[in-house]
Amino acid sequence: MGRYIVRRLLWTVLVVVLVTLLTFVIFFVLPKGDPATRFAGKSPTPELIQEVKESLGLDKSVPEQYGLFLKRLVTGDEYGWPGLGKSFQNKQPVRPELIQRAQVTITLIIGGALLWLAIGIPVGVISALRRGSVLDRVSMGTALFFVSAPVFWLGLLSLYVFWKQLGWLPGTGYVSFGASPGTWFSHMLLPWMVLALLFAAIYARVVRGNMIDVMTEDYIRTARAKGLSERRVVMKHELRTGITPVITLLAIDLGVLVGGTIVTETVFNLQGLGNWLLIAAQNNDLPVTLAVTVLVAAAVSILSLVADILYAVLDPRVRYQ
Amino acid sequence: MRPRKMGTWALFGALVLAGSLGLAACGGDDSGDSDTNGGDNGAAAAKGGIYRVGTTDFGFNGGFDPSGEYLGWAWDLYSNLLTRQLTGYRHTEGAAGVELVPDVAESIPEPTDNGTTWTFTLKKGVMFGPPVNREVTSKDYVTAFERIGTESVVAQYGFYYSDIVGMKEFKEGTSKTISGITTPDDHTIVFKTTKPIGDFGYRLAMPATGPMPAEVTDCFTKAGEYGRYVISSGPYMIKGSDKLDATSCKTMKPISGFNPTKQLSMVRNPNYDAATDSTEQREALPDGFEFIINTNQKDIFDKIEAGEYEDSVDAVPPDVARRYSTDDALKDRLKSFTDDSTNYIYMNLGEAPFDDVNVRKAVNFVMDKDALRRAWGGPLYGEIGTHIAPPTLYPGSTEFDGYDPYASENNAGDLAKAQEAMKASAYDTDKDGSCDAGSCSGVLFLNRSIDPFVKMSPVIRESLAKIGIKVQVRELPTGPAYETSGNVSNRIQIGANARWGKDYPDASTFMVLFDGRNILATGNSNYALTGMTAAQAKEFKVPYPKGGVPTVDADIDTCAAAIGDERAACWVALDKKLMEEVVPWVPYMFGKNTDLLGPAVTKWDFDQFSGEAAYAHVAVDPSKQK
Amino acid sequence: MSEVLLEVRDLVVHFPTPDGVVKAVDGVSFTIERGRTLGVVGESGSGKSITFLTVMGLINRKSARVSGEVLFEGRNLLEATTEELRHIRGDRIGMIFQDPMTSMHPMYRVGDQISEAILAHRNVGKREAGARAVEALRQVGIPAPEQRARQYPHEYSGGMRQRAMIAMALVLDPDLLIADEPTTALDVTVQAQILEVIDELKQRLNIGVALISHSLATVADVSQDVMVMYAGRPVERGTRGEVFDAPLHPYTLGLLSSVPRVDVRVERLVPIEGSPPSLINVPPGCAFHPRCPYRFDPCDRDVPDLRDRGGGHDDACHLSAEAKAANRRERLDMQEPVT
Repeated sequence: MGRYIVRRLLWTVLVVVLVTLLTFVIFFVLPKGDPATRFAGKSPTPELIQEVKESLGLDKSVPEQYGLFLKRLVTGDEYGWPGLGKSFQNKQPVRPELIQRAQVTITLIIGGALLWLAIGIPVGVISALRRGSVLDRVSMGTALFFVSAPVFWLGLLSLYVFWKQLGWLPGTGYVSFGASPGTWFSHMLLPWMVLALLFAAIYARVVRGNMIDVMTEDYIRTARAKGLSERRVVMKHELRTGITPVITLLAIDLGVLVGGTIVTETVFNLQGLGNWLLIAAQNNDLPVTLAVTVLVAAAVSILSLVADILYAVLDPRVRYQ
Repeated sequence: MRPRKMGTWALFGALVLAGSLGLAACGGDDSGDSDTNGGDNGAAAAKGGIYRVGTTDFGFNGGFDPSGEYLGWAWDLYSNLLTRQLTGYRHTEGAAGVELVPDVAESIPEPTDNGTTWTFTLKKGVMFGPPVNREVTSKDYVTAFERIGTESVVAQYGFYYSDIVGMKEFKEGTSKTISGITTPDDHTIVFKTTKPIGDFGYRLAMPATGPMPAEVTDCFTKAGEYGRYVISSGPYMIKGSDKLDATSCKTMKPISGFNPTKQLSMVRNPNYDAATDSTEQREALPDGFEFIINTNQKDIFDKIEAGEYEDSVDAVPPDVARRYSTDDALKDRLKSFTDDSTNYIYMNLGEAPFDDVNVRKAVNFVMDKDALRRAWGGPLYGEIGTHIAPPTLYPGSTEFDGYDPYASENNAGDLAKAQEAMKASAYDTDKDGSCDAGSCSGVLFLNRSIDPFVKMSPVIRESLAKIGIKVQVRELPTGPAYETSGNVSNRIQIGANARWGKDYPDASTFMVLFDGRNILATGNSNYALTGMTAAQAKEFKVPYPKGGVPTVDADIDTCAAAIGDERAACWVALDKKLMEEVVPWVPYMFGKNTDLLGPAVTKWDFDQFSGEAAYAHVAVDPSKQK
Repeated sequence: MSEVLLEVRDLVVHFPTPDGVVKAVDGVSFTIERGRTLGVVGESGSGKSITFLTVMGLINRKSARVSGEVLFEGRNLLEATTEELRHIRGDRIGMIFQDPMTSMHPMYRVGDQISEAILAHRNVGKREAGARAVEALRQVGIPAPEQRARQYPHEYSGGMRQRAMIAMALVLDPDLLIADEPTTALDVTVQAQILEVIDELKQRLNIGVALISHSLATVADVSQDVMVMYAGRPVERGTRGEVFDAPLHPYTLGLLSSVPRVDVRVERLVPIEGSPPSLINVPPGCAFHPRCPYRFDPCDRDVPDLRDRGGGHDDACHLSAEAKAANRRERLDMQEPVT
């Protein structure tokens, strides 16, 4: 197991290297002219463009820039470790902002995930148990609705209802937990809900499908033949195998969401990573794009490792393979 | 022109920040009520309260360091609230707002030595805010110019000061000082230029030239760094400035009131003495300002309506503008002012068929400018453009009243006159008024792929088809579109991706677009290639037409050196020459800036200099805030 | 002397579906006595498994129409409540299934899965249940049961797993063991071992066993009674000696002649031609008649009931006893009788 984990961590490093290399290649290969010119003002003299290039580190060759990027990533830079440089766009060090924004995004994702698991799993299980019932049809219909509902629409609608019309919840924005836990919570509630509804719908459908598959398994019949109570058959035997695959799903979703809660962040004015990545990509802000890319790649790799370990813990068959 | 934030109709389209594009001249302009005249909002304006402004993104492209920052709205913040340059403006709407007035200078001097020496006397008692807490002296202005001349700072419009004597040597490092800037005493500063610069006074109103305390700025010599430490010399300072420990470079931590990703908060500068200023320039009524990033543009305008914000930097979305403009009770809260920007279609003077002036004239005649403006949303969004630089840049001149060399009924295009012009062209071989040479089809037309630009593509395609020009439309996102048109080797024949705004209220800031000496292989903004020489064409590996390319370089030089009325007349003549003889553009719209005001705003004005709200003259009633 | 453990009378299990009624079990009666093994033989779809799942209360009663009687220790299980049935399952009647690979929960330890059955029925502590689980594993011949109890099903071989299933089914000393195709999924060499274990335990614990199989050979060595089923009905029923020595029904004959037997040399296997009928459209008369080489006039008209028709034990075939004996001689005369 230890060796396996080490191997997977090395793999993570490789993924980060490859993904950043790809980001570099895309950035420099895509035909869009010289990024320096956009920070050199309206009538850029060649000298000014050169100044900008130097200040952005774009005066070096591309392989040299990539090498420097990797070196700083490993050894750190003047703003600490890992070295992520300064934003092309606002000239601010990337690292502190990455940390600040990661906190917002992680808050959003974790809260959302707890909520969607709390909704999606019971709904999926109950729908599977009451398959074909009105309850099942209503939940699955609702799930289909939330799966297909555009998140920005859902976000705007929820703001309209809960903030503008009812005034039950505060509007957009992020308040740090440290500043006021209550305000933090009330500000996060709608984003959590909007993010969670989509995923709760997906998870409910996945769990329902898994559970229906599991119900026909031989070992469930065995459990009944043993004379176990129906409750125990469901809660212990069906749920265990019905929900375990959700872990992999969750790990991948969480990893991808690290840079992927773009719309939710934008609608609710949470300055998180997704929103940042979007702006950075639009502005050709290479250091920011790279920083978020590194984080997302590492998050996806590490979370999938965690998922695999968890899976092994939960499913002994995997452990011995 | 400085890049500006752009508003788009799409809810999240506003994230596409033109502010990031050094080349973009993009005024946010939506609908607007052109009848409102700014100024007083009716209710009594009093001191106090916090004026809150929402924006989808600050859009700073120089890290808010005044030396490098090239964003109109940033200039608005510096000149209205934060820093005091030698010269300045009244921060009001219209002609009064673009008339140069002294700020820290006692007066605006007449240049001597054939217009090459400018001697300014500084007012006494102008103080830096905390933690510097000392009088602003002439040396602090020198510091600003030294930063402009320091390569690592990346002064994006440093070229305005390259004709100061000694700037070149300072930049190259052969001199430790700029010999052309001297300070005989703490309240006198003398500038010497290598040639007469008629608009030098305007250039000294630019925020990069504002006073900088070397004890702080010397710690920050990399691009954008000083943006987190801007020391006030104006009525407001960044909140938390007083907590800045300026005892050494190491002890300084970014001022807490400015978080580039969230908020910029300003409070009163305790050292500001209104006696050194004039209320005509700055009333400084609110106790503070909060500029808040809100990534949800719809939410910004909902919050303004609810009284949670007072204003936004973003353009007012058309649905909101429509509702306000049709409601008598709300009408006054919607503001719309021309922001001195020109929307134009450029034609490449080096490429057939646009290397023939008759074709270019025909395009001007045939273009349905009204339909183009409708693509932007109609008259609320701008005035029909009929010449190069917007009228505000010709203060006092009546030359352009009713001027339209390509006038047509309802601005919908005049096909008959277009055909007549086309007949004079060699590209109309059968003289039927329609372009019929081989080069008349497959004409590469560049546009942006976002609203409202995409809505213009069919209008332009159809207008040109009427005179036989068949275009091949190429649409790209804002950034790549600018990069593409700015790369001469791409040989874009005609394009509508561009807009241009002033840097300061002088027509020279538009005429640089026609200076052949400014043509660059990449990052070029003279898209029409006006004034391109055969040598340049060879260098860029693009064709050079047999008939040559018209140039106005000499006219530009003449006007640039002129001052006073002579200067204004010179630019007027050049503008007309460009429209009638050179014809590199189809200017179709002078853009407008829109603002929506919250219920608590009791006083508001438009800053013609920055093309944004005049924060120096706003006021709020805290009792109406939510 | 014989104590009847289970008596099934006229059991009918029909499943209404959109395509028609599936007559899975259509009138089945039999008894299982203590100390004896009833071998239930039939092709898939003959209703043998459904019969015993119904006995266990493991079919979905909502989707089935069930009639008849299932008398266990004098009580009709068809009328028992869910809770009563639950108490009988595992405790009074144990059941093992065809595929030991899939019949155990893959994510729980074998020992825990056995203890779970104990805890569901007995008021004992976990430690005690665990010890009994280990003992049960030892009883079915699993070496090092303490270690094995802590392992997961996938760490067991197929035969070991089936032994563990037997241990699980018998851990509470039930009176009746239902073994539904317990050897089908196993290697041939292991099959005999498992049957041996079942037989050995039956004798030692003095329980009744229902051994369900699609193969007569499987039940041959360990069953005292045999019932052959076809299309939801029993077609022949008797002691092992009766059925194997003097098979009456052509279907039984067919099964016997398709059985490769180690004790008899045969030239070739004689399969039963055709395939089992659809249970929605069961052929009229004798359900076997479309495949029967001896069919005659009444076969496609009258349903033959199961009774002693003069052949010495019960069968459901319209043929005369003489004709049956003749057929038997023709089909099996080369073969020595089973001892």
